[in-house]
Amino acid sequence: MRTNRFLIGAGFLVAATLAGRSVAAHHSFAAEFNASKPVTLKGSVTKIEWGNPHIWVYLDVKDDQGSVQQWQCEGGPPNTLTRNGWTPNSLKYGDQVTIDGVLAKDGSKTCNARMVKLPDGRSVFAGSSGGDNPPPPKP
Amino acid sequence: MKKRLVASVLTALAVAIVCPMLAAGQQDYRPPAGPAPRSASGKVDFSGVWQKPYVPDLTKDGKDFKGVAELPFTPWGEAEWKKYDAAEGDYTGACLPFGMTRSVNTPEPMQIMQSDTYFAFLFEQNSWFAVAPIDGREHRKGIPTWFGDSVGRWEGDTLVIDTVNFNGKTRLDTIGHPHSDQLHVIQRFSRPDRGHISHEMIIDDLKTFTRPWKTTRTFTLRTDWEMMEYSCEENNKSLWEGRIKVPKFKPF
Repeated sequence: MRTNRFLIGAGFLVAATLAGRSVAAHHSFAAEFNASKPVTLKGSVTKIEWGNPHIWVYLDVKDDQGSVQQWQCEGGPPNTLTRNGWTPNSLKYGDQVTIDGVLAKDGSKTCNARMVKLPDGRSVFAGSSGGDNPPPPKP
Repeated sequence: MKKRLVASVLTALAVAIVCPMLAAGQQDYRPPAGPAPRSASGKVDFSGVWQKPYVPDLTKDGKDFKGVAELPFTPWGEAEWKKYDAAEGDYTGACLPFGMTRSVNTPEPMQIMQSDTYFAFLFEQNSWFAVAPIDGREHRKGIPTWFGDSVGRWEGDTLVIDTVNFNGKTRLDTIGHPHSDQLHVIQRFSRPDRGHISHEMIIDDLKTFTRPWKTTRTFTLRTDWEMMEYSCEENNKSLWEGRIKVPKFKPF
Protein backbone atom coordinates (compact mmCIF):
# COMPACT_ATOMS: atom_id res chain seq x y z
CA MET A 1 0.00 0.00 0.00
CA ARG A 2 2.79 2.33 0.99
CA THR A 3 4.64 1.32 -2.15
CA ASN A 4 1.63 2.35 -4.21
CA ARG A 5 1.51 5.70 -2.50
CA PHE A 6 5.18 6.28 -3.22
CA LEU A 7 4.76 5.35 -6.85
CA ILE A 8 1.73 7.58 -7.20
CA GLY A 9 3.81 10.31 -5.62
CA ALA A 10 6.55 9.73 -8.17
CA GLY A 11 3.99 9.84 -10.97
CA PHE A 12 2.64 13.10 -9.62
CA LEU A 13 6.17 14.52 -9.61
CA VAL A 14 6.52 13.60 -13.26
CA ALA A 15 3.17 15.19 -14.05
CA ALA A 16 4.16 18.33 -12.20
CA THR A 17 7.41 18.46 -14.18
CA LEU A 18 5.46 18.29 -17.39
CA ALA A 19 2.98 20.84 -16.18
CA GLY A 20 5.72 23.37 -15.66
CA ARG A 21 6.55 23.43 -19.33
CA SER A 22 5.09 26.41 -21.10
CA VAL A 23 2.74 25.89 -23.98
CA ALA A 24 2.33 29.14 -25.68
CA ALA A 25 -0.33 31.25 -27.21
CA HIS A 26 -0.65 32.24 -30.82
CA HIS A 27 -2.36 35.43 -29.76
CA SER A 28 -2.65 37.85 -26.90
CA PHE A 29 -4.04 36.00 -23.90
CA ALA A 30 -5.47 39.20 -22.45
CA ALA A 31 -7.57 39.80 -25.55
CA GLU A 32 -9.84 36.89 -24.68
CA PHE A 33 -9.35 35.80 -21.07
CA ASN A 34 -9.34 37.43 -17.67
CA ALA A 35 -6.40 36.19 -15.60
CA SER A 36 -8.01 37.60 -12.45
CA LYS A 37 -11.05 35.32 -12.78
CA PRO A 38 -9.92 31.78 -11.97
CA VAL A 39 -12.32 28.88 -12.26
CA THR A 40 -12.23 25.20 -11.31
CA LEU A 41 -14.50 22.92 -13.30
CA LYS A 42 -15.23 19.29 -12.46
CA GLY A 43 -17.05 17.40 -15.14
CA SER A 44 -17.25 14.73 -17.78
CA VAL A 45 -15.49 15.08 -21.12
CA THR A 46 -17.92 15.18 -24.04
CA LYS A 47 -15.58 16.09 -26.90
CA ILE A 48 -11.98 16.92 -27.81
CA GLU A 49 -11.14 19.14 -30.78
CA TRP A 50 -7.51 18.63 -31.72
CA GLY A 51 -6.96 21.47 -34.17
CA ASN A 52 -5.06 24.68 -34.66
CA PRO A 53 -4.57 27.18 -33.27
CA HIS A 54 -5.58 25.54 -29.96
CA ILE A 55 -7.15 22.33 -28.78
CA TRP A 56 -10.56 22.55 -27.09
CA VAL A 57 -11.92 20.31 -24.36
CA TYR A 58 -15.70 20.20 -23.93
CA LEU A 59 -17.23 19.00 -20.72
CA ASP A 60 -20.53 18.68 -18.91
CA VAL A 61 -20.42 20.26 -15.48
CA LYS A 62 -23.15 20.00 -12.85
CA ASP A 63 -23.93 23.31 -11.19
CA ASP A 64 -24.99 23.80 -7.58
CA GLN A 65 -28.59 22.93 -8.47
CA GLY A 66 -27.55 19.71 -10.15
CA SER A 67 -28.35 20.81 -13.69
CA VAL A 68 -25.77 20.09 -16.36
CA GLN A 69 -23.94 23.03 -17.91
CA GLN A 70 -21.90 22.69 -21.07
CA TRP A 71 -18.43 24.25 -20.88
CA GLN A 72 -15.57 24.61 -23.35
CA CYS A 73 -11.94 25.15 -22.44
CA GLU A 74 -9.03 26.15 -24.63
CA GLY A 75 -5.70 24.32 -24.33
CA GLY A 76 -2.35 24.61 -26.03
CA PRO A 77 -1.46 24.33 -29.71
CA PRO A 78 -1.58 20.76 -31.05
CA ASN A 79 1.94 20.91 -32.46
CA THR A 80 3.53 21.77 -29.13
CA LEU A 81 1.37 19.25 -27.28
CA THR A 82 2.35 16.57 -29.79
CA ARG A 83 6.05 17.30 -29.26
CA ASN A 84 5.45 16.96 -25.52
CA GLY A 85 4.00 13.49 -26.00
CA TRP A 86 0.25 14.13 -25.92
CA THR A 87 -2.21 12.81 -28.47
CA PRO A 88 -5.91 13.37 -29.14
CA ASN A 89 -6.47 10.08 -27.29
CA SER A 90 -4.78 11.24 -24.11
CA LEU A 91 -8.24 12.27 -22.98
CA LYS A 92 -11.38 10.33 -23.88
CA TYR A 93 -15.11 10.81 -23.97
CA GLY A 94 -16.50 10.24 -20.49
CA ASP A 95 -13.26 10.90 -18.62
CA GLN A 96 -13.91 12.71 -15.36
CA VAL A 97 -11.63 15.73 -15.19
CA THR A 98 -10.90 18.74 -13.07
CA ILE A 99 -9.86 21.80 -15.03
CA ASP A 100 -8.14 24.75 -13.40
CA GLY A 101 -8.28 27.78 -15.63
CA VAL A 102 -9.48 31.31 -16.06
CA LEU A 103 -12.72 32.60 -17.49
CA ALA A 104 -13.28 34.28 -20.82
CA LYS A 105 -14.01 37.99 -20.68
CA ASP A 106 -17.31 37.68 -22.55
CA GLY A 107 -19.08 35.82 -19.74
CA SER A 108 -19.69 32.69 -21.79
CA LYS A 109 -19.04 29.22 -20.39
CA THR A 110 -15.54 29.33 -21.82
CA CYS A 111 -12.25 28.95 -20.03
CA ASN A 112 -8.55 28.85 -20.70
CA ALA A 113 -7.32 25.61 -19.18
CA ARG A 114 -4.16 25.92 -17.11
CA MET A 115 -4.39 22.30 -15.91
CA VAL A 116 -6.53 19.31 -16.81
CA LYS A 117 -6.38 16.62 -14.12
CA LEU A 118 -7.72 13.11 -14.01
CA PRO A 119 -9.03 11.61 -10.75
CA ASP A 120 -5.81 9.64 -10.27
CA GLY A 121 -3.82 12.86 -10.19
CA ARG A 122 -2.35 12.67 -13.65
CA SER A 123 -2.33 15.89 -15.64
CA VAL A 124 -3.37 15.80 -19.27
CA PHE A 125 -2.47 18.31 -21.95
CA ALA A 126 -0.35 20.06 -19.35
CA GLY A 127 0.19 23.71 -20.11
CA SER A 128 -1.89 26.64 -21.14
CA SER A 129 -2.27 28.84 -24.12
CA GLY A 130 -1.60 31.73 -21.76
CA GLY A 131 2.15 31.44 -21.98
CA ASP A 132 2.63 35.18 -21.87
CA ASN A 133 0.51 35.62 -18.80
CA PRO A 134 1.25 35.10 -15.12
CA PRO A 135 -0.59 32.25 -13.38
CA PRO A 136 -4.02 33.22 -12.09
CA PRO A 137 -4.36 34.02 -8.40
CA LYS A 138 -5.75 31.35 -6.10
CA PRO A 139 -9.49 31.65 -5.54
CA MET B 1 10.93 -1.37 7.91
CA LYS B 2 11.86 -3.68 5.08
CA LYS B 3 8.73 -2.64 3.18
CA ARG B 4 9.61 1.01 3.63
CA LEU B 5 13.10 0.40 2.28
CA VAL B 6 11.70 -1.43 -0.75
CA ALA B 7 9.23 1.38 -1.33
CA SER B 8 11.95 3.99 -1.14
CA VAL B 9 14.13 2.09 -3.59
CA LEU B 10 11.20 1.67 -6.00
CA THR B 11 10.37 5.34 -5.75
CA ALA B 12 13.95 6.34 -6.45
CA LEU B 13 14.03 3.97 -9.40
CA ALA B 14 10.75 5.32 -10.75
CA VAL B 15 11.99 8.89 -10.55
CA ALA B 16 15.44 7.99 -11.91
CA ILE B 17 14.05 6.05 -14.86
CA VAL B 18 10.80 7.79 -15.74
CA CYS B 19 11.88 11.40 -15.41
CA PRO B 20 14.84 11.15 -17.82
CA MET B 21 12.66 9.24 -20.28
CA LEU B 22 10.07 11.98 -20.26
CA ALA B 23 12.68 14.65 -20.40
CA ALA B 24 14.48 13.02 -23.31
CA GLY B 25 13.93 15.08 -26.39
CA GLN B 26 12.68 17.92 -24.24
CA GLN B 27 14.63 19.65 -21.50
CA ASP B 28 17.70 17.38 -21.60
CA TYR B 29 18.06 17.29 -25.34
CA ARG B 30 21.66 17.66 -26.42
CA PRO B 31 22.30 19.15 -29.85
CA PRO B 32 25.10 17.69 -31.95
CA ALA B 33 28.59 18.98 -31.22
CA GLY B 34 31.27 20.07 -33.64
CA PRO B 35 32.09 23.07 -35.77
CA ALA B 36 29.55 25.03 -37.78
CA PRO B 37 28.96 23.38 -41.15
CA ARG B 38 29.78 25.23 -44.33
CA SER B 39 28.35 25.16 -47.81
CA ALA B 40 30.35 24.14 -50.85
CA SER B 41 31.14 27.80 -51.40
CA GLY B 42 32.63 28.05 -47.90
CA LYS B 43 29.86 30.10 -46.30
CA VAL B 44 28.51 29.18 -42.87
CA ASP B 45 25.38 27.11 -43.44
CA PHE B 46 22.52 27.87 -41.05
CA SER B 47 20.19 25.24 -42.49
CA GLY B 48 18.27 23.13 -40.00
CA VAL B 49 15.26 23.02 -37.69
CA TRP B 50 15.84 25.43 -34.83
CA GLN B 51 14.29 25.72 -31.41
CA LYS B 52 13.83 29.37 -30.48
CA PRO B 53 13.08 30.89 -27.09
CA TYR B 54 9.49 32.03 -26.65
CA VAL B 55 9.60 35.80 -26.30
CA PRO B 56 6.17 37.27 -25.56
CA ASP B 57 7.70 40.45 -24.10
CA LEU B 58 10.90 41.94 -25.49
CA THR B 59 11.54 43.78 -22.22
CA LYS B 60 11.83 40.61 -20.13
CA ASP B 61 14.87 38.34 -20.15
CA GLY B 62 14.27 34.61 -20.31
CA LYS B 63 16.01 31.37 -21.09
CA ASP B 64 18.19 31.92 -24.17
CA PHE B 65 16.93 35.50 -24.47
CA LYS B 66 18.15 38.89 -23.35
CA GLY B 67 15.88 41.82 -23.92
CA VAL B 68 15.83 45.54 -23.15
CA ALA B 69 14.13 46.35 -19.87
CA GLU B 70 13.36 50.01 -20.64
CA LEU B 71 12.44 50.71 -24.23
CA PRO B 72 13.51 54.19 -25.37
CA PHE B 73 10.11 55.38 -26.57
CA THR B 74 9.56 58.62 -28.39
CA PRO B 75 6.41 60.49 -27.30
CA TRP B 76 4.61 58.97 -30.29
CA GLY B 77 5.80 55.47 -29.39
CA GLU B 78 4.86 55.92 -25.74
CA ALA B 79 1.38 57.02 -26.69
CA GLU B 80 0.96 54.06 -29.03
CA TRP B 81 2.05 51.70 -26.28
CA LYS B 82 -0.22 53.19 -23.63
CA LYS B 83 -3.34 53.10 -25.77
CA TYR B 84 -2.90 49.51 -26.96
CA ASP B 85 -5.61 47.11 -25.84
CA ALA B 86 -5.59 43.67 -27.47
CA ALA B 87 -9.22 43.21 -26.47
CA GLU B 88 -10.12 45.94 -28.97
CA GLY B 89 -8.45 44.11 -31.82
CA ASP B 90 -5.89 41.34 -31.97
CA TYR B 91 -4.53 40.74 -35.44
CA THR B 92 -2.72 37.55 -34.41
CA GLY B 93 -5.85 36.15 -32.85
CA ALA B 94 -7.51 36.83 -36.19
CA CYS B 95 -4.77 34.73 -37.83
CA LEU B 96 -3.40 37.70 -39.75
CA PRO B 97 0.36 37.56 -40.38
CA PHE B 98 2.48 37.95 -37.25
CA GLY B 99 5.22 39.85 -39.10
CA MET B 100 8.94 39.29 -38.78
CA THR B 101 9.65 40.04 -35.12
CA ARG B 102 6.65 38.18 -33.66
CA SER B 103 7.34 35.19 -35.88
CA VAL B 104 10.90 35.03 -34.58
CA ASN B 105 9.48 35.37 -31.04
CA THR B 106 7.19 32.34 -31.31
CA PRO B 107 8.00 29.14 -29.42
CA GLU B 108 7.26 26.99 -32.42
CA PRO B 109 10.40 26.00 -34.33
CA MET B 110 11.79 27.64 -37.42
CA GLN B 111 13.48 25.84 -40.26
CA ILE B 112 16.19 27.68 -42.15
CA MET B 113 16.95 26.72 -45.72
CA GLN B 114 19.91 28.40 -47.33
CA SER B 115 21.68 28.51 -50.65
CA ASP B 116 24.27 30.91 -52.00
CA THR B 117 21.36 32.96 -53.35
CA TYR B 118 18.62 32.79 -50.72
CA PHE B 119 18.04 32.49 -46.98
CA ALA B 120 14.57 31.25 -46.14
CA PHE B 121 12.83 31.55 -42.77
CA LEU B 122 10.25 28.76 -42.57
CA PHE B 123 8.19 29.51 -39.49
CA GLU B 124 6.05 26.70 -38.11
CA GLN B 125 3.76 29.30 -36.56
CA ASN B 126 0.89 29.46 -39.03
CA SER B 127 3.16 27.89 -41.70
CA TRP B 128 4.46 31.30 -42.73
CA PHE B 129 7.73 32.03 -44.47
CA ALA B 130 10.02 34.90 -45.44
CA VAL B 131 12.75 34.70 -48.07
CA ALA B 132 15.77 36.97 -48.24
CA PRO B 133 18.07 37.15 -51.27
CA ILE B 134 21.65 37.05 -49.99
CA ASP B 135 23.45 37.55 -53.29
CA GLY B 136 23.95 41.28 -53.05
CA ARG B 137 20.61 42.47 -54.34
CA GLU B 138 19.13 45.72 -53.07
CA HIS B 139 15.75 46.00 -51.36
CA ARG B 140 12.78 45.82 -53.67
CA LYS B 141 10.50 48.85 -53.94
CA GLY B 142 6.96 47.77 -53.52
CA ILE B 143 3.82 47.74 -51.44
CA PRO B 144 4.63 47.56 -47.73
CA THR B 145 3.99 44.13 -46.28
CA TRP B 146 3.47 42.33 -42.96
CA PHE B 147 6.89 40.66 -43.06
CA GLY B 148 8.64 43.51 -44.88
CA ASP B 149 11.31 43.11 -47.54
CA SER B 150 14.47 41.29 -46.53
CA VAL B 151 17.91 41.11 -48.09
CA GLY B 152 21.07 39.61 -46.64
CA ARG B 153 24.79 40.22 -46.75
CA TRP B 154 27.82 38.56 -45.20
CA GLU B 155 30.10 40.24 -42.69
CA GLY B 156 32.75 37.55 -42.33
CA ASP B 157 30.97 34.49 -40.95
CA THR B 158 27.99 36.54 -39.78
CA LEU B 159 24.94 36.74 -42.03
CA VAL B 160 23.08 40.03 -41.69
CA ILE B 161 19.43 40.02 -42.72
CA ASP B 162 18.11 43.54 -43.23
CA THR B 163 14.35 44.07 -43.39
CA VAL B 164 12.40 47.23 -44.28
CA ASN B 165 9.13 48.22 -45.97
CA PHE B 166 6.79 46.99 -43.25
CA ASN B 167 3.10 47.89 -43.37
CA GLY B 168 3.05 49.03 -39.75
CA LYS B 169 0.11 46.80 -38.81
CA THR B 170 2.01 44.37 -36.64
CA ARG B 171 3.32 44.53 -33.10
CA LEU B 172 6.85 43.74 -31.98
CA ASP B 173 5.76 41.11 -29.46
CA THR B 174 2.75 39.34 -27.98
CA ILE B 175 2.29 41.87 -25.23
CA GLY B 176 1.93 44.51 -27.92
CA HIS B 177 4.95 46.80 -27.97
CA PRO B 178 4.45 49.09 -30.96
CA HIS B 179 6.40 50.05 -34.03
CA SER B 180 5.72 52.25 -37.02
CA ASP B 181 5.85 51.76 -40.76
CA GLN B 182 9.40 53.13 -40.53
CA LEU B 183 10.56 49.97 -38.78
CA HIS B 184 13.93 48.65 -39.86
CA VAL B 185 14.91 45.24 -38.46
CA ILE B 186 18.47 43.97 -38.59
CA GLN B 187 19.10 40.34 -37.69
CA ARG B 188 22.64 39.08 -37.28
CA PHE B 189 23.09 35.31 -37.47
CA SER B 190 26.29 33.59 -36.42
CA ARG B 191 26.88 29.92 -35.65
CA PRO B 192 29.48 29.42 -32.90
CA ASP B 193 29.15 25.64 -33.23
CA ARG B 194 27.05 23.07 -35.02
CA GLY B 195 24.32 23.01 -32.40
CA HIS B 196 23.65 26.72 -31.91
CA ILE B 197 22.90 30.02 -33.60
CA SER B 198 23.67 33.31 -31.89
CA HIS B 199 20.98 35.72 -32.98
CA GLU B 200 20.90 39.48 -32.58
CA MET B 201 17.88 41.53 -33.52
CA ILE B 202 18.26 45.29 -33.78
CA ILE B 203 15.10 47.38 -33.79
CA ASP B 204 15.64 50.66 -35.59
CA ASP B 205 12.51 52.81 -35.77
CA LEU B 206 13.12 56.46 -34.95
CA LYS B 207 9.43 57.30 -35.07
CA THR B 208 8.77 54.92 -32.20
CA PHE B 209 12.14 54.81 -30.40
CA THR B 210 14.76 57.47 -29.80
CA ARG B 211 17.60 55.09 -30.70
CA PRO B 212 18.09 51.58 -32.08
CA TRP B 213 18.10 48.79 -29.50
CA LYS B 214 19.13 45.18 -29.56
CA THR B 215 17.96 41.82 -28.25
CA THR B 216 20.02 38.65 -28.24
CA ARG B 217 18.97 35.02 -28.23
CA THR B 218 20.32 31.52 -28.78
CA PHE B 219 18.69 29.03 -31.12
CA THR B 220 19.29 25.30 -30.66
CA LEU B 221 19.51 22.83 -33.51
CA ARG B 222 16.79 20.15 -33.13
CA THR B 223 17.83 17.14 -35.13
CA ASP B 224 14.95 15.25 -33.47
CA TRP B 225 12.23 17.61 -34.71
CA GLU B 226 10.50 17.95 -38.03
CA MET B 227 8.34 20.86 -39.02
CA MET B 228 4.60 20.39 -38.68
CA GLU B 229 1.69 22.03 -40.44
CA TYR B 230 -0.02 24.82 -38.48
CA SER B 231 -3.23 26.13 -40.00
CA CYS B 232 -4.37 28.96 -37.78
CA GLU B 233 -7.76 29.19 -39.45
CA GLU B 234 -8.52 25.51 -38.92
CA ASN B 235 -10.50 25.91 -35.71
CA ASN B 236 -10.20 29.52 -34.61
CA LYS B 237 -13.27 29.38 -32.40
CA SER B 238 -12.21 32.38 -30.39
CA LEU B 239 -12.57 34.57 -33.45
CA TRP B 240 -15.66 32.87 -34.84
CA GLU B 241 -17.49 33.13 -31.52
CA GLY B 242 -16.59 36.79 -31.12
CA ARG B 243 -14.25 36.63 -28.16
CA ILE B 244 -11.40 37.99 -30.29
CA LYS B 245 -11.91 41.06 -32.45
CA VAL B 246 -10.27 41.88 -35.76
CA PRO B 247 -8.46 45.25 -35.60
CA LYS B 248 -9.90 48.05 -37.67
CA PHE B 249 -6.92 48.76 -39.90
CA LYS B 250 -6.91 51.85 -42.07
CA PRO B 251 -6.64 51.01 -45.78
CA PHE B 252 -3.50 52.09 -47.62
